[in-house]
Amino acid sequence: VVKEKATGEPLPGVSVVVKGTTRGSQTDFNGNFTIEKVKTGDVLVFRYLGFADKEVSIGTNFNITVELDESAEQLDEIVVVGYGTTTVKDATGSVESITAKDFTKGNIVTPENLLSGRVAGVNITTDGAPGAGSQIRIRGGSSLDASNDPLIVIDGLPMAGSAGGSRGVLASINPNDIESFSVLKDASATAIYGSRGANGVIIITTKKGRSEYSLDYDFQMGFGEVRNRINVFDGDAFRTLAPQKFPSLAGLLGTANTNWQDEIYQKSVSTQHNLTARGQIFGVIPTRLSIGISSIEGNLLTSNFDRATFSVSMNPSFLDNHLKINLNYNRAFEDNRFADKGQIGAALRYDPTQPVRDSSSPFGGFYQHYTRDANGIIISQGTRNPVAALLQNSDLSNVFRQYGNLKIDYNFHFLPELTATVNAGFDKTSADGTRVNSLNSPASYTDLFIGNDSAYTNEVSNESLDTYLNYVNTFGKLKTDVMAGYSYQTFNGSGTDTGNKRNVNGAVPTTRDDTPVVLIGFLARANLTFNEKYLLTLNYRRDGSSKFGPENRWGNFGGAALAWRMSDEDFLKDSKVISELKLRASYGVNGQQDIDGSDLYLDRYRFGNTDSQYIIGGNPILSTIPGGRSFLRWEKTATVELGVDYGLFDNRITGSVNAFQKNSTDLLSKAPVADGSNFTNRIFQNIGEMKVNGLEFTVNADVIKQEDFNWNASFNATYIDRKIEKLALGQDITKGGISGGTGNFIQLHSEGFAPNSFYVYKQLYNTAGKPIEGAFADLNGDGIINTQDKYLKEDPFADVTFGFQSSIDYKNFDLAFNLRASIGNYLYNNVNSSSAQYDLIQDNAVLGNIPTTVLNTDFQRTSDVILSDIYLENASFLRMDNITLGYTFDRPIKKFASNSIRIWAGMQNVFTITNYSGLDPELANDGIDNNIYPRPRTILVGANIKF
Amino acid sequence: CTKDLDVTTKDDQDLIGEDFFKDETSYKRLLAGVYANLSLTGVDGPESSNIEGLDAGTSQFGRVLLYLQTLSADQMIWSYENDPGTREIQRNIWNADDPVVLGMFGRTHVTIAFANNFLRETTDAKLDERDVSTATRAEIKTFRAEARLLRAMSYYYMMDLFGKANFATEEDPINAIPQAYDRAQLFDFVETELKAIDADLADPLANEHGRASKGVAWMILAKIYLNAEVYIGQPKYTECLDYSKKLIAGGYSLATDYKHNFMADNDVNTAKNEIIFPLISDGTFTKNYGPTTVMINGSVGSIEANGTALGVGAGGWGGALRLRKQFVALFDGGIYNNDRRNGIISGTRSREITDISDKDQGYILEKYSNATSTGSFGADQTFVDTDFPLFRLADVYLMYAEAHLRGGAGGSNTDMESYINSLRSRANNPQNNLTATDITLDFIIDERARELHWEAHRRQDLIRFGRFTGGNYNWVWKGNGSNGISLPAHLKLYPIPSASLASNPNLTQNIGY
Repeated sequence: VVKEKATGEPLPGVSVVVKGTTRGSQTDFNGNFTIEKVKTGDVLVFRYLGFADKEVSIGTNFNITVELDESAEQLDEIVVVGYGTTTVKDATGSVESITAKDFTKGNIVTPENLLSGRVAGVNITTDGAPGAGSQIRIRGGSSLDASNDPLIVIDGLPMAGSAGGSRGVLASINPNDIESFSVLKDASATAIYGSRGANGVIIITTKKGRSEYSLDYDFQMGFGEVRNRINVFDGDAFRTLAPQKFPSLAGLLGTANTNWQDEIYQKSVSTQHNLTARGQIFGVIPTRLSIGISSIEGNLLTSNFDRATFSVSMNPSFLDNHLKINLNYNRAFEDNRFADKGQIGAALRYDPTQPVRDSSSPFGGFYQHYTRDANGIIISQGTRNPVAALLQNSDLSNVFRQYGNLKIDYNFHFLPELTATVNAGFDKTSADGTRVNSLNSPASYTDLFIGNDSAYTNEVSNESLDTYLNYVNTFGKLKTDVMAGYSYQTFNGSGTDTGNKRNVNGAVPTTRDDTPVVLIGFLARANLTFNEKYLLTLNYRRDGSSKFGPENRWGNFGGAALAWRMSDEDFLKDSKVISELKLRASYGVNGQQDIDGSDLYLDRYRFGNTDSQYIIGGNPILSTIPGGRSFLRWEKTATVELGVDYGLFDNRITGSVNAFQKNSTDLLSKAPVADGSNFTNRIFQNIGEMKVNGLEFTVNADVIKQEDFNWNASFNATYIDRKIEKLALGQDITKGGISGGTGNFIQLHSEGFAPNSFYVYKQLYNTAGKPIEGAFADLNGDGIINTQDKYLKEDPFADVTFGFQSSIDYKNFDLAFNLRASIGNYLYNNVNSSSAQYDLIQDNAVLGNIPTTVLNTDFQRTSDVILSDIYLENASFLRMDNITLGYTFDRPIKKFASNSIRIWAGMQNVFTITNYSGLDPELANDGIDNNIYPRPRTILVGANIKF
Repeated sequence: CTKDLDVTTKDDQDLIGEDFFKDETSYKRLLAGVYANLSLTGVDGPESSNIEGLDAGTSQFGRVLLYLQTLSADQMIWSYENDPGTREIQRNIWNADDPVVLGMFGRTHVTIAFANNFLRETTDAKLDERDVSTATRAEIKTFRAEARLLRAMSYYYMMDLFGKANFATEEDPINAIPQAYDRAQLFDFVETELKAIDADLADPLANEHGRASKGVAWMILAKIYLNAEVYIGQPKYTECLDYSKKLIAGGYSLATDYKHNFMADNDVNTAKNEIIFPLISDGTFTKNYGPTTVMINGSVGSIEANGTALGVGAGGWGGALRLRKQFVALFDGGIYNNDRRNGIISGTRSREITDISDKDQGYILEKYSNATSTGSFGADQTFVDTDFPLFRLADVYLMYAEAHLRGGAGGSNTDMESYINSLRSRANNPQNNLTATDITLDFIIDERARELHWEAHRRQDLIRFGRFTGGNYNWVWKGNGSNGISLPAHLKLYPIPSASLASNPNLTQNIGY
């Protein structure tokens, strides 16, 4: 009989295995179990979710009762931190650990989406393309022109960037292989990653081998559909409108009624299979093997993502556990077909009175506006038929990635308190792609039928070596954990592109070989715990980056954190309400060096491409220019944080509250340099300061906790306020290129405002509330409306974001959903601003459709209104990301001791509540809504089978 | 192994200085890089740029020059006013944030920085150190003079457009804040420098095509003397005549056909002896959105779709460029009907442009072409093979006449008549027997427009004639009035771009901005 220790209640469904064998069983509803052929001396392993594993040696009595301890003592949960682990109890920093049971469910193709909405302060935005990469921001990002991406570390191996041709840096990682995430947010936690920790760290731990044998098979199938459309005129309405606006073009109207948006989207079917086997090979090597096959169809015609992953992990121990080896090796293959997002814009614009196909068309049977010139040569006119543009274009890539690491921990025999670790890893991605545009499609409006045929390759690689010593000992009431080490990383990238081989003027082939980046760090950390109640962590790291010249190369970073486990003090020890209370305070400094350009301090010369040469005496010459030079140093981000971790009512309710402030100084920002003093007019400089203030709140509650009815709910809220304090010479920096005109921008970095604040004209309205075209407020009062009347209004980033998850288990049913909300994020609706004007009904010499929002404004001309604040919209939203319902059959196959089948169904992207008028209020591209790939609503079914 | 932090470049297009200069042919490539900054926008194709803060294509030197000298005056209209800066330039409502103004200031100073770098890397000490051969050193002597010439030319344009510049020479280290020079200092520098390098420059027409000769230095001298009253308040017409005469005696000759100057083969047809300095354009090797590419694609009419004959796409850019009526009026009258310089297409169009964005209003112009004089076409249908004639002999003839009329010593009526009439004869204009009484200053300003329109001279000419600012000559949309209104005098100079002003504390904003 297996019972719960605290209550004495029998535990059903506990797995019981004879150690070192596959033989085992599971307890029934009364906690009873039987295993045959057990002899004295065998060891039984009892395992149950939420409880500590227990091993029991069989003596002579074969009738045993076992009591399992609840390990909902989450406090002893292991938390992975940089270069080591700690426990929830001993953690001094803002570290959140998300394990498989907390993962967001649904149509998860890339790993980061397992985290969506789960962690306060972490925002993940992914567009609708299959396998698409995400923008991940931890606490908003503290850099301006340097990268704001967090560092992602898999099993101790920092990931390289993504290779062109791949969907993204995480696209080739199978989410099914992931055991847990640790999100390091505060400086004391990230400081150990010194050079790369300024924007937070996400540590991914993959699943490992086990000694027991098990086989898991997961299957899921999704049916996706894009339901939203931008309202444009239908064929009949357009036949009325166009001649009113452009009488001379009336003759160009057709008779069809084509909804071009319907034509470019498709319903998609996607499947994912995952097979995982675990067990011990040769009796000593716990091993895990997994294979994942994903086939994800996109909802834009032709778009597709296929992925196969293979992963092996072995983790044997030798010499009485003194030597531990962890080997991980992964291979991933991505097959992509990319669909041009630009065609989403073309579908809005294409004349709705024309058919998709036209048997007489020279363009492969697709309708296309065209004329013939005097010599009878066909010239296509206006926007291209978007269906043809998608179907006639083949943009393929094959990506092969392999990554892995070998980690060896050696626990000294003569000094068991000391452990030496070596972790060597590599990550290498090569992509090759082809872009072929069929011969009966024009490469651009003015070209003849040459189509396009080009091929490219891209390669990125990253190698790393970490070595460190760890000393753990207890001296009376003082527990010490000291670590010192060395870290080395190098990054390489290269690529080739053939250019259009069909170009009559000859292709322009290009090659690229990036200057390598080398990062070296010396690191040390001490964790001191006194009397189990007073915790101190000290970090130090000295980092060198090859991006900086010898004189500025090295930076010193570090941090300190104090924590007080107040609940262990006598005055709280017996509290019925407060079961856990920890106060934390930390301060730390991180470095930042991740900018484009890894050799700006070098005396470089660059000659032109074959199409960028000078001609002397009729002969092209490789004209050569000196490269812009700057002598940079580390950008630094100092973070101060106060936090409380709490647990109430025997930890039925847990959570934390954090308040932090990040101050970035010496911002690496690309800013104007005195003209004539350098070889360009803008260059990276260490000028600027930014401040991020934030508050985070999380609560996790076991609302109902009964034998066969459990309800867990969690909620998080984040407030972030980012402000640029100082810029180079006080100069504003333009940001946010938009479509509609050449070289327009809509955003500004400006002192005293959030980064990427929108920079717009203030629209004037008549007494009836209708906007007056081209009339803007003369904000500086000089009587002239010009660019000096623009003003800064709002920014793309949310002020407050919320996440809410709920999971209910009733008997064998499980139901889970999660909600996210974002408040105060603004979007510039570039779809309307660049196309909702009557003038655009004439598209060069033909007709083009426009959004019906033009009826609200009656605007005529794009150039008059494109920078108006009328196109700036509040895009706050509440969205249900997914909901799933599952049912588990316990041991449906009685032949096997332990097995289960869970079948489930769910929906992804269930609803969105927003006032935003465009397709989707949540976008990755920093607040400009233009040609986004909309996210489908997906219905999912799946099964998890375990042996 | 912290030595690994000492990385070096790996790309085959990138070289570290010490490796680059091991090859003695590098010096010519480096000089070509200085020239290329006038013709190209960047080193990685038409979307790349050596400067930032504006669209790469728009930042081409000849293009921003065309915008500031021609679009800002009475000859040209750009239809797509949502291209930032164009609206403000063509309606004379620009300010210090205008990207076109930034483009000119930034681009030109990069030429200065490139030239300074060339001079810094070719000092005797450096050449000794690198053990450069005698033959290469002899070439480098001319190269250095050319680098100084391009630097002086850059300062000439800064003096003309902004009246100010950041003054840096090869003595100033990289990233040092430069001093600011005013108009008088710049005038002095340009004049002295151009005279100092004269001996080292190649004779007119004696250098390789695409490189500058003494003729370019003389041309700039003639120009600064002609405009000296504007620049420094002193008449220098005699000096202008001196240099005009040197140029005329230098061996240049008019192209047999006016149109040859503006065709795809103007580097080899008869225009090669008329063009004193071209901005090189080639559809294969120098892809960029420079002035000829813009004017040929842009001048294709929205109604006419006449691009095929010009060697570009039939629709071109849908009618980006049109003519203001004041310019059209200069060709009114029968004698201009068959004038080769009259490329105006009126068709069914109205002469008036009441709505700038209506591409069907206003006459269009067929001047530049991507067709060759022998009936074939340039290599590419977008990027044209047509060089932009920055300086050409016809301008010298007109400068001679003007300097003579304005009282310069050393000229003659006979020569003046002969030069003016030769332009008219070449243009096939029946009125080619003008005498000194016909040739007045009023005639000159109009004739300059007829001969040199869309060649980036007009603003400078109008200022010299006192007709740019003020209200004595208004053209459509001048000052943002559909019929034109008076401009304040401070618009004779462009504002120093805000970014440039902020990045150099020694610079001050021009009065009025």
